[in-house]
Amino acid sequence: MRIALAMLLDAYRELNARKLFWITLVMSGMVVLSYGSIGFNESGMSMFYGLQQIDSEYLRKGSLMSEVLYRSIFSWIMVGLWLAWTATILALISTTTIFPDFMAGGSIDLVLSKPIRRTTLFAAKYMVSLLFVVLQVSLFSLGTFLCLGMRLDDWDWKIFAAIPIVTVFYSYLFSVNVLLGVWTRSALAALLVTMLLWSSLFGITLAEGLMYKERTKLVIQTERSDRLIADLEAHLATSDRDESRRARLMVEVADARSLRDTQNEAIDKMDRWHRPIRVIQSVLPKTGETINMLDRLLKRDTDVNILDIFRGNVVPDQSGGFRTTDTSQDREVQRRMEAEVNRRSVWYVVGTSLVFEVVILSIACLIFVRRDF
Amino acid sequence: MTGNGDYAIDLHHVEKVYRGKVHALRGVEMQVHPGEIFGLLGPNGAGKSTLVKIMMTVVRPTRITGTLLGHEVGHKPTLARVGYLPEHHQFPRYLTGYQALGFYAALAGVDRATRRSRAAELLDTVGMSDWGHKKVSTYSKGMLQRVGLAQALMNDPDLIVLDEPTDGVDPVGRRDIRDILLELRKKGKTIFLNSHLLSELEMICDRVAILVQGKVVLQGTLEDLTAGSQHYEITIQGTAPEWARHDTSIRIEPADDSQSKLIIEGSEPAPIQHVLDRLRRNDRVITAVTPVRETLEDLFMRAVVDPKTGRALAPGAGPSAPEAGTGEQP
Repeated sequence: MRIALAMLLDAYRELNARKLFWITLVMSGMVVLSYGSIGFNESGMSMFYGLQQIDSEYLRKGSLMSEVLYRSIFSWIMVGLWLAWTATILALISTTTIFPDFMAGGSIDLVLSKPIRRTTLFAAKYMVSLLFVVLQVSLFSLGTFLCLGMRLDDWDWKIFAAIPIVTVFYSYLFSVNVLLGVWTRSALAALLVTMLLWSSLFGITLAEGLMYKERTKLVIQTERSDRLIADLEAHLATSDRDESRRARLMVEVADARSLRDTQNEAIDKMDRWHRPIRVIQSVLPKTGETINMLDRLLKRDTDVNILDIFRGNVVPDQSGGFRTTDTSQDREVQRRMEAEVNRRSVWYVVGTSLVFEVVILSIACLIFVRRDF
Repeated sequence: MTGNGDYAIDLHHVEKVYRGKVHALRGVEMQVHPGEIFGLLGPNGAGKSTLVKIMMTVVRPTRITGTLLGHEVGHKPTLARVGYLPEHHQFPRYLTGYQALGFYAALAGVDRATRRSRAAELLDTVGMSDWGHKKVSTYSKGMLQRVGLAQALMNDPDLIVLDEPTDGVDPVGRRDIRDILLELRKKGKTIFLNSHLLSELEMICDRVAILVQGKVVLQGTLEDLTAGSQHYEITIQGTAPEWARHDTSIRIEPADDSQSKLIIEGSEPAPIQHVLDRLRRNDRVITAVTPVRETLEDLFMRAVVDPKTGRALAPGAGPSAPEAGTGEQP
C-alpha cells in the first residue's frame, strides 16, 4: 500500500510537471465552458452566455427539443469528438514517454534495487500512469454534470460513468503503447505504432459496420421478398377459377423466389467477408463500442437522434414527445443496426477488449521482468 | 545454496553472458565481511558494474550462488536492508531533493515519519540542507552525488553499495563523503565501493578486490596483498660498493648520477642493519633509508598488465566462451 501510494504521488508530480497535462486540462475546461455557455430561455436558445440569441419555439426552456439538442451536443461533440478523439490523442502524446523515461539508465536502477518485485513495479507504474486520463475525465465529467444540471435541471449522476468507461477505453491503447515503450524504449515508436493500431481498429470497425449495413439491407429485402411470396401464394390459393390470373401469379411467385434466391446468395457472399472481420474484431479492443457504452448508459426512451430531427425523420407530437415519420428501408436498417449494437453485452465489448489488454500487458511485463538494465 | 551467513556479501561462481555471447563475468568469487569497507577495482569493462547490478537485481545473472546479508542473492525483501547508489543515477527532474529521498525511501518500505526525519538529517549530513526544497534539475553533478548518497542511506541500511560515489564531486565533497563512509563503518555498516579513484580507496578500504576481464584476480587486505612487495630502499652517495653487488639479497638500482639505491626485500628491519653497518664501515654517506610498500595503484597496474606482453590487458571481459547464455547488454 505504501508503495502504491508513493507511486501514485510520484505519478501526480510527474503529470504536474508536464505542460501538456495542463494544456489538455485547460482545453478540456474550455470545452466544458463552451458547453455550459449554451442555455435555454423563454424565447429560445442563447449561446456564449447570452451574447448570441436564437429564437425558436422548439428550443424554449423546458422543451423536449432543447433537452434533446443539449444532450446530443454532449453525446456527439463532448464525448464523440473531444473525449474519444482529441483528448485521447493528447493523452497518448503526453503519456507515451512515461515508460521509456521510467526505464532510462540510472533511473530504473534506483527503483529495481528496492525490495519490490518487478511485476508489482510494472503493474503499479501502469495503473498510476492512467491517472492522466482519470484526472482529465473526472474534471470533465464534473463540468458536464454541472452544465446538464444547471441548464436542463437534469442532475444525471450516470455522467460520472464516463470516468471508468473512458479510462478503460484509453487503457486498451495505452497497453499497446506500454508494450512498444518497454520493448523499444522509444517513446516515438510507441506513439506511432499505437496510433497505427488505433487507426486500424477504426478501419476494421468501419468496414464491419458498412458490411453489416449492406447485409442488413439485403436481409430486409429478403424479408420483403418472403412477404411478397407469401402474399402471392395466398392469392394463388384463392384464385383457383381464373386460370389466366393463376398463370400470372405463378410467374410472379417464380420471379419473387428467384429474386429472393439472388438476395440470399448476396447475403452468403457478404457473410464470407463479414464473418472473418467479425471474428478478427471480436479479439481486438473495441474502442468505439466502449465509448458508445456511455451513450448506451445515458440514453433514455425519449431520446432521439438529433440528425433525424434535422432531416425531418422525427417530428414533435401532441404529447410533447417525438414520432417517426420515416418508414424507409434506411430507417429500418438504422434501427436494426442500433439494436444490434445495443444487443452486444458489456462482456463482449469491454470483456474481450480487456482480455486483449491483459495479453498485451503480460507480454510487456514479461519483457520488463526479464530485461537487464 | 552456497553461502555463508558470516559474510555480508558471499558470492560464488557469478557468471553473466550478455546477448552476443559477451562474457561480462566469468565465475566471480568474492567475500565481504560485515562492518568493513570493501573496494572493488578494475579497468573499464571488467564487469564491476555488472557485478554490482547483479547484487542489486538490476541485471539477471547467468549463474550465481551466494548470499547478500545471509539471504540468497535476488531475495527482494533483503534489499530493504541495502542502500544503493548507482553510477550515473538519475532522479526524476520534477522532484525536489526532499521529494526524491521520500519517494525512494517509501519504495524501500520506510514509514512516513521516519522518511521525514531522516531526509532532513541526511541532507544535513551531505551538506545539502539548503537545497532540499529545490528541484533536482537545478543541481550540479556533485550535488546530485551528495543527494544520491543520502538516498542510499534513507532506509538505514546494513549494507551500502556505492558505484562511483565521488564521480563529479569536488575535493572538499570527496573528503566529506569519505568522512561519512568512515563514520558509517564506525556504526558497523558494511560498505561496498566501486570506484576508479585508487587513492581514495586506499585511504578508506579495509579490503579490496581487483576484477579483470570478468574474474577476481586479487582479493584481500591491502597489507596482505602488498606483503610480498615490501622492501627497504637504502640510498647512498656514489656507486654501490663491490660487496653489495655480490650479495644476492641486495638489488642495486641507480638513483641518479651521484647516488645509488640498494634494495633489500622484506618487511623486517633487522636484515638491513648489517648492510647499514658495512656501509658505515666503508665510509659511505647514507642519504635515506626508506621502507617501501606497493601502493594500490602499483597493485592495480600489476593486476591489469599482461605479464607475457607487459601491456595492459584489453578492456572488457571479451567475447567467446564455450557455454552461451542469455541476456541482453544494457
